[in-house]
Order: sequence, then structure tokens, then C-alpha cells
Amino acid sequence: MSSPIAINISNLTKHYLKEQNVALNNLNLEIVRGEVFGLLGPNGAGKTTLFSILCGLVKMNSGKVEIEGNDIITQMERIKKIIGIVPQDIALYPTLSAVENLQYFCRMHGIRKSEITSLIKWNLSLFGLLGVGKKPIEKYSGGMKRSINLIAGLLHDPGILLLDEPTVGLDVQNKRKIMSHLKDLNKKKQTTILYTSHDLEQAEIFCDRVGILNEGQLLIVGRPAELRNHFQAGSLEEVFVKVTQDQCR
Amino acid sequence: MIQRLWATLVKECQLLWRDRKGLVVLFVLPILLVFIMTLIQHEAYRSLNETGVPVLLINDDNGVLGQTIQRAFEDFELCSVTVYNDEQSSVKSSYVDLVASGEYVVAVHVPENATSVLRQDVKLIMDAITEDEKLDSTLLKQVEIEIVADPIARKSFIMAIGSGLREFIASVKTRILFEMMSTELNEISGNQNKLTFPAQDFFIFNEYYAVSGEDDVFAPNAVQHNIPAWAIFSIFFIIIPLGASIIKERENGLITRLRTLPGNYFSILSGKLLLFTIIGCIQMAIIVCIGLYILPQLGLPRLQLGSNLGAFTLLTIIVAISAVAYGLFLGTFFNSAPQASIFGGISVLIFSALGGIWVPLNIMPDIMQSISIVSPLNWSLKGFYALMIQNAGLSDILYCILMMLLFTAVMVCTSWFINVNRCLRA
Repeated sequence: MSSPIAINISNLTKHYLKEQNVALNNLNLEIVRGEVFGLLGPNGAGKTTLFSILCGLVKMNSGKVEIEGNDIITQMERIKKIIGIVPQDIALYPTLSAVENLQYFCRMHGIRKSEITSLIKWNLSLFGLLGVGKKPIEKYSGGMKRSINLIAGLLHDPGILLLDEPTVGLDVQNKRKIMSHLKDLNKKKQTTILYTSHDLEQAEIFCDRVGILNEGQLLIVGRPAELRNHFQAGSLEEVFVKVTQDQCR
Repeated sequence: MIQRLWATLVKECQLLWRDRKGLVVLFVLPILLVFIMTLIQHEAYRSLNETGVPVLLINDDNGVLGQTIQRAFEDFELCSVTVYNDEQSSVKSSYVDLVASGEYVVAVHVPENATSVLRQDVKLIMDAITEDEKLDSTLLKQVEIEIVADPIARKSFIMAIGSGLREFIASVKTRILFEMMSTELNEISGNQNKLTFPAQDFFIFNEYYAVSGEDDVFAPNAVQHNIPAWAIFSIFFIIIPLGASIIKERENGLITRLRTLPGNYFSILSGKLLLFTIIGCIQMAIIVCIGLYILPQLGLPRLQLGSNLGAFTLLTIIVAISAVAYGLFLGTFFNSAPQASIFGGISVLIFSALGGIWVPLNIMPDIMQSISIVSPLNWSLKGFYALMIQNAGLSDILYCILMMLLFTAVMVCTSWFINVNRCLRA
């Protein structure tokens, strides 16, 4: 029987050149297959560094990271086929239309030509964007851009989705639309989701488990309800403030 | 790999097509530059090459001297001669004005009875010889031939006209002297056979160019210079959109998505680099077509490509690859598109000035000619000059090709080093 662990991080350390502080300090984390894990933390906590290491963009100094049993250093090509990335920035070509952007990413993922059109149509219709698919991305609203940014990470049907603040800057309606879609995806396809955010309220609703990261160290990990009980807090936000303040003291 | 390369190529074409201003920079501006610079430099090159320079000959002499000068001018390839004779008195009075107005570069006036005066002078010399008397030089009359030149005409051209005239007059003088001596000798000896002056010259001058091939050598002119020069300049200007495109992908976070796509990032980047290499070749093809078909319609000389089209194509591809490598370096080295554009644009201007794009190398000061070897545009232009003017072959431009490949290798390796270093620092 295969291991239920989708992402396994052990003793991960990363420090940047010319910087005294370590970005990630001996970090250990296991994310189970089919789980939605929220990685929370203040600015500069190391969330984006961890995200970048998991994407293979940044090299770690020590430790081991495995995604679906594949080592991130030696088996990155296999990992690339498993993971879907949704960066914080709108990682799309602004002058190309949504359809052209998505066609390009489909081709780069090796999706068959005959499937591309229907796949794009299906994804656009899920977000109610079918009618505007031929408009250039630069003419879209913030919510529409975020939706296309998300679709671009889902095209190859990844088993693991890495989301770096996917709803930053969006209004409530658009946030709900995107999060609801992600939740559906997780339920229907058992997609593992690693999600970084500053939106603690949303994380509390959306995530099975959360981890609070500060100054490169994972301070606590647990289910939102358990953490609230443990810290006798009314919300995850209170837990977050207590944990990070404790460390500052 | 091929599918990914093709997908990137299609995407880059779509991006380029949407960037209308970029298209103007890549294709319209170079064409305008070629037209403007070629037309501006055409007259200057005409003067430099001294072929078909308009010359006015006012021949008032009815004798052999006038005829010889006229015939010689008509055969003189440097000139395009217009002859007026003594019947056209209005021209005679205004030939200075015609030169001043720029219609003719030089006007030459052979005065009336020039041959008679020459004959009289030769006769005096002959009489002095045969009668063993001292020649009274005060009796000799001088033929006054006027040469009126446009002040902008090159000194070397005026000197060539002057020496040509002296040469024609000397040959006429020799011929007259020979005829008179022959007549005198016949009278003394009683010989009835009239000797004729040999038609052929006593000397043969073999002139040829120091080139390896035996084929024709094409004269450097505004078209032969400006077509390769501005094509190279345009090809190197692709560094601006290319560098900006690489930086924008990094700035807007696309690089995160691109680097996490299956396969090596180099295969994605190579699609972009391939497109810009193709654009460089298309730029050259368009500009060459202008030189072949459009500039001749404007009265300019037709472009001569030389006979080694294979070497020409190879050189074009290598120039485009070098420019793309430089664009890759700029896109990797700089952190913002404006920085890369300003540095890239100015560096290409400096390289082009040093490389002989604006002003041909041979008229630059020695020190600048020595410095010019640092410019990749200089190696490119030298290669095209060799192919298009000296009709050279591939082996003759190997040095240029090797220098450009070396430049490409340095640019690619430096970019790779910066990229790896950035990844480690990140």
C-alpha cells in the first residue's frame, strides 16, 4: 500500500546569501493526501520560500523534501507533472486572451490537441468566463484574472495544488467563488492543497489543518478547531496573534 | 521537446503580433533607416567612387587635340561627359554657372585653335632641331585649357581630370611631333613611305583588386554599404524587445509558472530565442529585397549580393544568433525592462558607431579603426563586405564567423552563470 503522505518535509533549512537570518529553520511537515493544508504566517515568515522550494525554483541548503515519494532534488521532472502551481502574481501573458494563455499551458503540459479546446471551455464555464475567453487578460477584472490564474494551474489535473495567496486583493464574492471551486476540487478529486494566505478567516473555513510559520520556524500545526480550543481563542486570528506574539517575546 | 518548442514559438508569435509598437521597431523603422541613409549617402558615395561623375566638355577646337580629349573623356569610366561645341555659345558663357549650380562637377574648356597652336609650337621645336638653332622659347604659345570644378568635388577627382588631360595632350603632342619628324626625314631621305604612329601603347598597365576570387568585384556604394549595415543594426536592435520580454516574464511572476512546467526551462527559452533569430533573418531578407528591387527604382545602384549566397545566409543566421545571445544577456543581467532597454539601445548605438555602420571604417581615424575590433557589428559588417564587395567565399569570412560565435558563447555562458547565481541567491 502506498504512503498516504503527499508532501513530506524533514529538517528543511534555507538561508539566503548576504542575509543573517535563516529563511527556513529545520522545518518538518507532513501533508496527507487529499488534505487542504493552510500555511499561515506574517510577512517574511518564510511561506513564499517554502512555496518556491516545493516548486523547485529555489534550492534548499539542507534537509529532504518528497512529493508523492519523489525527491525534490533528483526527481523534479516527475514532480512537475504531479503538482499544479498558482502563484501569487497573475502569471499570465497580459496581451494574450484567456484561451490563448490556457492553450499555451495545455500544450506545454503535453495535453492532446483534440482535448485542449473542450478542456478550456469546461474550465472557463466553471468560472462563468466562457463568453469572455477571447478578450486579452489585461482587459479582465481582478477576479477574472485570478480565476484564469487558477485555471492555468489546474489544466493538467494535478494531484497536488500549491496555492500562494490565490485570492489576494479580491472582493468577497470572487473570493468565495474561487474557494468554493477549490473545495469542490478537493472533495471530488481528492486533490491535496497546500495554501498560503494572510486571510485567516478564510483559512479557518477552507483548511483541514493549518500551520503557523514565523521567522522560518513552524510554530504550531493542527486543525483550526483544535488550535482554537488549545489556545482558548475565539478565532484562528486570535490563535495566530498569540502564537506569533509569544515568539516575539 | 519539439511540441514544446513549437508551442512557445506560436505563443511568442501571438505576443509579437499583439505588440504593434514592437513590430514597428522591428520592421518599419529599419526600412525607413535604410531608405533615408542610403539616399543621404548616395551622392557622397558617388563622389567617393568617382564613377559617372557629370563632366561638361566645351570643345571649341576643331582639330585633333579637341577630338582626342573628347574621345578620351567619352572612354573615361570615371566621367559621364556632356560635350558642347562652339556653335552652342550660350553654354560657353554659362559653363561656370552650370558647375556652380551643381549640374556638373567639372567643366573643361578646350579653346579655339588649340590644335593649331600646338602644331605651331611643335614646328618651332622641329625647326630648331633640324636647323641646329637654339629654340627661342618666347615664340612658343601656350594653350590655355580651363578646368572649372565644383568646390565640393574631391581633390583627387580634379587631380585625376588634370592628369588625364595632361596625358591626352602629351600623346597628341608626341603624335604631332612624330608626324612632323617623319615628314622632315622623308624630305631629307627622299623616302615616299609615310610612317604612321603605332596605335598601341608602349606600356600595358594591369590593374586588379587584392581579392581571392577571380569573379567581379563590386564597387562599394551607398547601397552596398547601407543594406548590410542597417540590416545588422536592425538585427541587433531586437535585443530591446527580447531583453524586455525575458525581464517581464520574471517581473510578473510568469517565470514561476514557466519553470514549473514539465521539461527543461531552456526548451521554453529556446522557443523565444528561435523566434527572434528568425525575425533577424526576416529583417535581413526584407532589407536585401529593398536593395534588390526598390532602391534601383529610385535611381540608386542595384544591390550586389556576391556569388556566395550560402555563405551570405549562414552569416545572416550567425549575426541573428549573436544578437539574440546579447539580448539574452541583457534580459538576464538587468532587473528591469527600462534599464535593459536604455543600456541595450545605447550599447548598440556605440557598437554600430565603432563597427562602421554610420561611417565606413576606412574613413575613420586609425585609433578608431583599432578600437572597432571590439564591436560585434564590425565583425558582421566586415563579413558582409567581404561577401558583397570582394565576392569572397566562406573561408574568407571564417574569422568574422568565429568572432561572432565566440561573442555568442560568452553571452550565453555569462547569462547561464547569472541565472544559476540568482537561483542560489534566491
